[in-house]
Amino acid sequence: MNRRVLIAGTALVVPLVAILLVGLGRDPHVVRSPLIGRAAPSFSLRPLGGGPPISLESLKGRAVALNFWATWCVPCVQEHEVLAGAARTWGAKAQFLGVVYEDQEDTALDYLRRKGSAYPSLFDEGGKAAIAYGVFGVPETFFISPEGRIVEKFVGPLTPSELSANLGKALEATP
Amino acid sequence: MRRLALVGLIAGLAAGLGAQEPTEVTAPDPRSAVGAPSGRALSGSALDAESDRVAGLLRCPVCQGLSVADSPTGMAVKMRQQVHEMVGAGYDEEQILSYFERSYGEFVRLEPPLRGVNWLVWAGPVGGLLLGAFAIRRALRSRPGTVGSAGEPPSDAGEPLPGPDSLPADESLAAYVLSVRERAYGWPGGISPSRPDTLAPPRKAEGSAS
Repeated sequence: MNRRVLIAGTALVVPLVAILLVGLGRDPHVVRSPLIGRAAPSFSLRPLGGGPPISLESLKGRAVALNFWATWCVPCVQEHEVLAGAARTWGAKAQFLGVVYEDQEDTALDYLRRKGSAYPSLFDEGGKAAIAYGVFGVPETFFISPEGRIVEKFVGPLTPSELSANLGKALEATP
Repeated sequence: MRRLALVGLIAGLAAGLGAQEPTEVTAPDPRSAVGAPSGRALSGSALDAESDRVAGLLRCPVCQGLSVADSPTGMAVKMRQQVHEMVGAGYDEEQILSYFERSYGEFVRLEPPLRGVNWLVWAGPVGGLLLGAFAIRRALRSRPGTVGSAGEPPSDAGEPLPGPDSLPADESLAAYVLSVRERAYGWPGGISPSRPDTLAPPRKAEGSAS
């Protein structure tokens, strides 16, 4: 075979195969959030069940686990107990917040009445918080450092160990 | 009774947090991400038209195959509303796309911008075509026995080609060629009127003619 053709062919095929190998190893549905490492978008939202609005600013100094959820989302139901349990365990160091995504306020409130709640859930009127956080679907959980920086985004239902690892990362994050 | 207690608990949790800093409801402000609006605030039909146009440049994050303008999902409706509000406030196209890109990544743009590795997306197909055409041209030119770019007859391992009026060394074959020329061109005896001297083959035949 012509040596030059062999070299040129290798130069074309090897990068293509490398790109394919890297691409096939990824989950095409997971898009890494560009917000990681950046300041968390600030908001002040009304909690379900009444009470004054809760702002992210007011939580500075504590790590925040911001969980976008919906009652129609089966994985959200699965992780509800995990989040509630962790909120009780980590309550002194971290604040858990839920944000209702694409759901009715009454439905979400009724769900929390039935399932119980260990932390406030906020109502995102117009979905502006979900847009600012780049939410693709639910559940998605953002781990925010005490300084207000997004340290990690977790897509899907959290297990206790995943939750602890990410929350630990948020607490250890340096400004 | 238990339900009432839970509602009280939820409200209590919220009140405990809210009491730290009583605030009004405020959604994330695009101004903090992309600065003050740099365009002209629109209203009426111009606002609707521009909102639709910009929403058409954004990918719906839920359905992914459709633009925000075309998608019927609840999230796309909310994104359209956000675009509408931003256009109404005077944000220009680039600011709006940047705002969404900041949270969703470049993925949210339906058309990848011309920057960085994205140049490959735009230039790659054209470059590939040019490279392919060059390779084919090169391959055709270097292959023996094929028609070259000037439309010349195929060469035979570098030997000079016989002229159009030449005859093979084999006498019986030469006589056959002459008869064919006579029938085809009407040349008397098969000899070209322009080259009456062409009676003998221009070169010696290879091998032994049988």
